[in-house]
Amino acid sequence: MKVQSVLEFAEQARAGNIGIEENTHKILDKVFAANGMNFFNVISKDLALQQAKELDSRVKQGKASGKLFGLPVSVKDCICVKGIESRAGSRILDGYLPVFDATVVSKAKAEGAIIIGKTSQDEFGFGTFSTNTGIGFNAPKNPFDSERSCGGSSGGSAGLTAFADFAHVSISESTGGSIACPAGFCGVAGFTPTYGLVSRYGLIDYANSLDKIGSMGKTVADSALLLESIAGHDEKDSTSLNEKPSFADEKNFSTKGLKIGIIKDFFGEGINPDVSKIAWNSIKKLEKAGAKIKEISLSLNAKFSVPAYYLIAMAESSTNLAKFCGMRYGAQESLSGSFNEYFSKVRSNNFGEEAKRRILLGTFARMSGFRDAYYLKAMKARTRLINEFRLAFKEFDVLANPTMPVIAPKFSEIEKLSPIEQYAMDLCTVPSNLAGLPHISINSGFSQKMPVGIMLVADYLQEKKLFRAASALEELQ
Amino acid sequence: MTSQIMIGLECHVQLKTNSKLFCPCPTRQETEEPNSACCEICLGMPGSKPVLNKKALDFALKVALAFNCKINEKFFFSRKTYFYPDMSKNFQITQYEIPVGSNGFVELSSGKKIRIRRIHLEEDPAALVHEAGLLSSSHCLVDYNRSGIPLIEIVTEPDLSSPQEAREFLDELTMVLSYLDVFDFENGTLKADCNLSIVGNERVEIKNVTGKRNVEKALESEAKRQSELVKQGNQIARETRGFDEKSLSTKTMRKKETEEDYGYIFEPDLVAFELSKPEIEKTRRGLPELHSEKAKRLVKEFGIAEYDAKVISGSRFAGNLFEEFAKAVSPKIASVFVSRDLVAIAHHEGKELEEISGRINAVQLKELLVFFEKARINEKTLKEAAIAHVAGGKNPVDFVKENNLFKDAAGSEIEKIVSKILSSNSKAVADLKAGNEKSLNFLVGLAMRESKGKAEPREIKKLIEEKTK
Repeated sequence: MKVQSVLEFAEQARAGNIGIEENTHKILDKVFAANGMNFFNVISKDLALQQAKELDSRVKQGKASGKLFGLPVSVKDCICVKGIESRAGSRILDGYLPVFDATVVSKAKAEGAIIIGKTSQDEFGFGTFSTNTGIGFNAPKNPFDSERSCGGSSGGSAGLTAFADFAHVSISESTGGSIACPAGFCGVAGFTPTYGLVSRYGLIDYANSLDKIGSMGKTVADSALLLESIAGHDEKDSTSLNEKPSFADEKNFSTKGLKIGIIKDFFGEGINPDVSKIAWNSIKKLEKAGAKIKEISLSLNAKFSVPAYYLIAMAESSTNLAKFCGMRYGAQESLSGSFNEYFSKVRSNNFGEEAKRRILLGTFARMSGFRDAYYLKAMKARTRLINEFRLAFKEFDVLANPTMPVIAPKFSEIEKLSPIEQYAMDLCTVPSNLAGLPHISINSGFSQKMPVGIMLVADYLQEKKLFRAASALEELQ
Repeated sequence: MTSQIMIGLECHVQLKTNSKLFCPCPTRQETEEPNSACCEICLGMPGSKPVLNKKALDFALKVALAFNCKINEKFFFSRKTYFYPDMSKNFQITQYEIPVGSNGFVELSSGKKIRIRRIHLEEDPAALVHEAGLLSSSHCLVDYNRSGIPLIEIVTEPDLSSPQEAREFLDELTMVLSYLDVFDFENGTLKADCNLSIVGNERVEIKNVTGKRNVEKALESEAKRQSELVKQGNQIARETRGFDEKSLSTKTMRKKETEEDYGYIFEPDLVAFELSKPEIEKTRRGLPELHSEKAKRLVKEFGIAEYDAKVISGSRFAGNLFEEFAKAVSPKIASVFVSRDLVAIAHHEGKELEEISGRINAVQLKELLVFFEKARINEKTLKEAAIAHVAGGKNPVDFVKENNLFKDAAGSEIEKIVSKILSSNSKAVADLKAGNEKSLNFLVGLAMRESKGKAEPREIKKLIEEKTK
């Protein structure tokens, strides 16, 4: 069944052809009924209905405006929504009700979005399958096969987007591939922008130099419309770029002459052959439509980006997680002992296993004596890895590779993977994330009835190119 | 043989900006209400992000330039991670690898140069409040009003060789802060971590000493303690000590074997900052006249005594006050009043002149000085009125009027008094005429007593001399 596009929905809603409160009720019923799929950590029913009422009355007053007017929008749990429990999937943030909206949330609200809830994720984003959940949280299930993972860490966003038979988009977040990976596993469009294009103000940090808020939708156009609505300069985020992109407004573009670089390092060893073949088929379709295809090797990235990424990400996250100590917000324990003993008790009892692992590894990587060999070396490596991409973009408009090396694995298979094996699954998504380059994952086909994602990467601030190429490919599928 | 002492200071100075270092919260407020000047950023709430206060950077740059530092054109911030209840994020945003300024120096009056290792910007932690005193409180409260106030840390090389030199350095520092107008002397705090060692022995750090006087006292006490240990042939333990202001002595806080490890990383929420050469030059040219140049100018321009010029140029406040007074009365009267009378009143309270600036009304005092210059009041009245003004909040002119301290009220009487004294003490008058100076003092004393202190000794002396010629 074809679901109404976001563009069409908002148009109808603004025209008064959709009862917004009625539609919101219907959708809330659906998501409550699907509670067993674990897409949500919190469903913000009261907020959504209150917003819906206000929008209905705006229609009546003839004041309906906004790109996302009346549209149900879900938000990854790590993005703050004022007054709605925001925990980034961690028990240590139990009861944290932000006193402010993240900039992306206020921008979405200003465009008429209705916030329906906080989607499930790996605790603080620390995972590839949304199975590294915080204590007391459940992993979202893949709508194509509930024994399989949605991917991660924005697993709830992707699962819900695939599951929804209604117009909906999700504000998600990627540090090392947390948008592309679940989008690939769930067969939806996941758009990760250039680092700095979207404000991070109100994002509960994983690794600040890598975190990017992006979007998910059923189609490239849906995800692009959301991204465009939440992008733009924000003086509250010092790393925010002074750009207001516009890329979702075009139709009928040609792929003629589009230069696509095929990252051959991500089609061979370590990649499931079926996945590789399906991604190649998509590229062939683009070639037929006039694109110029050429293989390229990003050998430095293939070899070093995963270790460099994990060192930087863990070093930064180990400092970000220091603030959680049961003093000002979130989980508390009975007061006893010195502050050190109390902080340790709160942290020991309320962080999940992967969070503790990353705190330990990240702290180790930045201690004097190891700092030069790990943290600083990884920072230097990052510069060289970026340069490898810069060279590639002198020749190509976009680069392509399969989003993930496998189809969404079963929960029973994931249990058997060691942390290192799990980290290695990020091989294809980490390089563009470490470099802060915009990328999109869209569905490329199916293997064993499960979606296979293909990922396109463009140069900094070339979201428009990415949108065109991905839209064209979507048409050809 | 006296042992050679090495002292290095790490001074923390709160900057006088309107808002905090990384958020718009005010640094000062009307009420003392705890936790009333904070937001999600200085509380370190999840999702909040810092944005640098450009004014604080400008202030730090000025201090670094005034201390002859090399300015780093590109610098960034770092996270210094440690767990403590006064830390809103359990990491402090500070500068590590590249500070705003480095390799500067300060010249003491002896001509000795004290090298400045670095000057950097960082955020102040929250204040811990132990309601029943540090030792007996069962709990402690946290006030985040202080959290995020901008600090500069000024680190010297261990070039100071006595507590007195350390004090002189701090005096220089506060003079510079005063001239640059970057420090709130009334409400701001200046703290120092003081490192002291006797050459050939381990170094001891005295943490967190507040104020210049305490720094000097803490160092004096620590120098004495270490010297005695060394004299007795004992080892000095590497440790961190605290200063007890009551007993004026230092006490062990913790023994430390190694340097603490703060696991510094770059602050990824802030971008690298760049200062262009022209920007730095513009700030350098915009620096105000500093105290040593000012003292020279005051002597040259106003012809006042070098001592007074030095005291007056010791703070921007005193300098401005003097120049204001000098518009109405002679530079000599103005300079003596500021550098001796007002300074003495401040010192009497254990304060520097700048610290009582809020209680000084220059317009009212100027009026008082005019009376003095026109000889309508005497020196004693001038001082009393000044004290009543500063300590009692009284308009000094009202004070003179209400207590009827004008000399002229007694003006014509003085001559009568002098005539009366001279006629009834003919022996003393004869002695005086014979050249006995003691008789003059005797007669002046008698006349002063008769006038009940309203007359001016100089004036009486003059009258007596005229009448006995």
